[in-house]
Amino acid sequence: MGTEPALCEPFLIHRHDRVFESCCPFCGLVCDDVRVEVEASGVRVERPDCARARSLFAVPATGQSRIGGQPVEAIAALRAAAALLAQARRPLIGGLACDVAGQRAALDLAERVGGVVEHMNGAAQFRNWLAFQDSGWMTTTLSEVRNRADLIVFAGTDASRFPRFFERCIDAGSQFGPLERTVITLGATPAGGRGTAHAIEPVDLAALFADLRIRLAGGTGAPNGIGGVPAATLDALLASMKAARYGVLVWNAAELDFPHADLTVQAMVELVRDLNRETRWAGLPLGGSDGDTSASQVCTWRTGYPLRVGFEPAGPRYEPLLFEASRLLAAGEADTLLWVSVFDPARTPPETACPRIVLGRPDMRLDAMGPQDVFIPVAVPGVHHAGILHRMDGVVSLPLQGPSPSALFSAAQALAAIQREMTHAAA
Amino acid sequence: MLRLKNGRLYDPAHGVDGVVRDLYVDCGRLVAEPGPGSPLDGEIDLAGRIVMAGAIDLHTHIGGGKMNIARALLPEDHRRDPVPAADGMHAGCGHAAPSTWTTGYRYAEMGYTACFEPAMLPTNARHTHLEMGDIPMVDKGAYAMLGSDDFFLRLLAAGSDQQLINDYVGWTLHASQAMAIKVVNPGGISAFKFNARGLDLDEPHPYYGITPRKVIQTLSRAVHELGVAHPLHVHASNLGVPGNADTTLATMAAAEGLPIHLTHIQFHSYGTEGERRFSSEAERIADAINRMQNVSADVGQILFGQTVTASGDTMKQYANHRHAHPDKWVVADMECDAGCGVVPFKYKDKNFVNALQWAIGLELFLRVGDPWRIFLTTDHPNGAPFTSYPHLIRLLMDRDFRNSKLDEIHPDAAAHSQLRSLEREYSLYEIAVMTRAAPARSLGLADRGHLGEGAAADIVVYRDEADREAMFARPEYVFKDGELIVRDGRVVNVVNGALHAVKPEYDKGIEQSLRDYFERYMTMSMEHVKVKDDEICACGASTLIPHACGRRA
Repeated sequence: MGTEPALCEPFLIHRHDRVFESCCPFCGLVCDDVRVEVEASGVRVERPDCARARSLFAVPATGQSRIGGQPVEAIAALRAAAALLAQARRPLIGGLACDVAGQRAALDLAERVGGVVEHMNGAAQFRNWLAFQDSGWMTTTLSEVRNRADLIVFAGTDASRFPRFFERCIDAGSQFGPLERTVITLGATPAGGRGTAHAIEPVDLAALFADLRIRLAGGTGAPNGIGGVPAATLDALLASMKAARYGVLVWNAAELDFPHADLTVQAMVELVRDLNRETRWAGLPLGGSDGDTSASQVCTWRTGYPLRVGFEPAGPRYEPLLFEASRLLAAGEADTLLWVSVFDPARTPPETACPRIVLGRPDMRLDAMGPQDVFIPVAVPGVHHAGILHRMDGVVSLPLQGPSPSALFSAAQALAAIQREMTHAAA
Repeated sequence: MLRLKNGRLYDPAHGVDGVVRDLYVDCGRLVAEPGPGSPLDGEIDLAGRIVMAGAIDLHTHIGGGKMNIARALLPEDHRRDPVPAADGMHAGCGHAAPSTWTTGYRYAEMGYTACFEPAMLPTNARHTHLEMGDIPMVDKGAYAMLGSDDFFLRLLAAGSDQQLINDYVGWTLHASQAMAIKVVNPGGISAFKFNARGLDLDEPHPYYGITPRKVIQTLSRAVHELGVAHPLHVHASNLGVPGNADTTLATMAAAEGLPIHLTHIQFHSYGTEGERRFSSEAERIADAINRMQNVSADVGQILFGQTVTASGDTMKQYANHRHAHPDKWVVADMECDAGCGVVPFKYKDKNFVNALQWAIGLELFLRVGDPWRIFLTTDHPNGAPFTSYPHLIRLLMDRDFRNSKLDEIHPDAAAHSQLRSLEREYSLYEIAVMTRAAPARSLGLADRGHLGEGAAADIVVYRDEADREAMFARPEYVFKDGELIVRDGRVVNVVNGALHAVKPEYDKGIEQSLRDYFERYMTMSMEHVKVKDDEICACGASTLIPHACGRRA
């Protein structure tokens, strides 16, 4: 690799010496108004004031390959990874926190080795996908929220995992004049520190939305309310929802962390659909961090299925329940784990009995590496090299810049190199 | 150099109708006969075979956000058609919403060498190019959707002059790397965001006050004046609504004599006669097309079976959701740009409405006299998956076959339709017009869709079988840019296709107001909306083929 990956050039937009206008890959908002300065010590975020961006843009440009915790040459690590995959009967290609090029390479490799693909956020993603594949939904995107939403209901989330959500989508200007926005939170903390919050446990949200549907249809809701929210409050909430011109119901599947939460999502999207008989409403599923939107988008266009796909002799096999990563590992149904995680060093692979190959940020620390475990440091798209990443809404994908080139392989290059080593070994 | 000798050529761009002639291919191009004694690298005797240029589909939803929504929505459909990895081809899935890989392989296996995605949102352009980059075998292009985007509607409502609109349209074509401009339910996708459930051609938009007619007038003029080859591609108002034929005719008139292409016109040719208040207006629509030389159309034929409808027309897709089969559907507003609606659908031959839709499409094909102005489409996947094209071709070429199918549909629909009385059978020459020469001409692809010297060597060889469905389903040979890619209906050589995009001239001063607009109101900057030339290959296309435009203003 040269000093600047070939893909960089087209994406470098405003280059003023060492200051770059950049897109931030570190949460599902993929904010594209970030300014970073490249200094001798690394990349520093000049604006905005986002703690997550500040900490994650700072990443070393070099890293050490390891096998079983011992430092090795990069090529030795690639060969060890190839050998593990060559002997695996069903490898799990997990993590998948990388850019579009990385997703493509991961799918190529999974197809080659007969692997199963699943994202590190799979548990959250499939709460949405199961509801989506059962009933569909009505949704919207970030700029629509910013311009049209006059009532935003946050269900089971305060959106704080997306640090600039309010700044970018709620507090920013609308082209349809000043909007009188109302914010209501169904949960303990008022989202954005404003509006009304009705304390309710997330696990009770499904019953609450079902009750609202009953009330909307003219039926009698629960006389004592739901989950501590009184009946009068439910009636008032519904009245506000019916009065909205463009209402948005926001949830974050990652925060609906209890069994069968797909049914909670379904209750929400069905209420949204019912409200659309009279006025306009849309859902906004928060998510998309760690490249999870790109992972499911690429897998969907290449296989037809949004991850949890196994490459089998008859073609891709989709198992939205059986191919959950933790289940496959716990049941011993996967015998090698390849883990790709280039955005957040804290997203390390799960502990498991089978050998692990980790393509991680150079600053990722792995405690307790097994004797066969392989660590390959890879470059970070948006910092070290250019790339493309989808935003949470799936509609917008943004060009990531590579302000601070590194000699490390990108995830895509490392995955391709492993595949090449498999071919060499087989020849 | 390769000689393809003794084939019977159908090359309507040169008026060649079944003439036996040799073709010479060198460096991916058709070249002149080299003269006696020139060395040949290969020769294939095509005696008794039929030879055409590679087919071009000018309206097929092959990639982009809405197709990925359709794919993700329908695992049960994919499960019936799994595609294993084999012979250098990737695994994937087929039928209604096929994976990108499978889309490319199956198009090539039918003799198609170029496909155009007709509904790309500019804010979704990068994603669309990524998807199309993973569609192998064929050349690709996409039409950018305008007409419900707030920036355009603001310009129009402010009474901006045509020149400014032209600049915005030119900018959009560049920014999204598009081949043409499409308008879907003009202004209607936006109106739905303001809770309107219908928007007639002369009805003011609930917020902007402008009418769909004004949108069509302005955009058709912009496309014409910028010198874009393909006319404004119009998905008219009132799709699927009984009685919409009047709207369709008025939409043709709205272009005021400028070129206009009406897409999936079958869905826009309905009357309200009969006890079910649903009838065919195919004759009136076809007569209008026959009369108005500025109008072209593609049919959007429906064929019976399971499929999925995917459209930017959120307003009408929302209205249609009660027909969803299986009962699940998606409607999404997108980025102050447009939207999309995905509704799975099962067309049934025993259902009166579906049966009549089938007959209306065929009537349109048979009643429009000029095959240069009517194109063979199913609006894939909305009317049927593209893999049903060979069946559709047989319906057009074989009247006995057509009538036997007519016997199977809902008897009242058969009785209401005049299809049985239509004796026309398409000739091979006419099929070559509507699937090759005409789409190439309409899109301005000077070196595609024909077999003349200098053309790209996209060549298809068929056995002359009486069963035209079998014939068109399995070409004996397909060449892409001179390379043999398909043998006996099966991919033998995986290649990548180019991306075609128009590059009209426009005043870049428009970027000042665009930059300001995106900064003030959007959640992405104008610079990031733009898909740069260099990104096209990174997205996956083999190369970007730019098409210059001759300004007409």
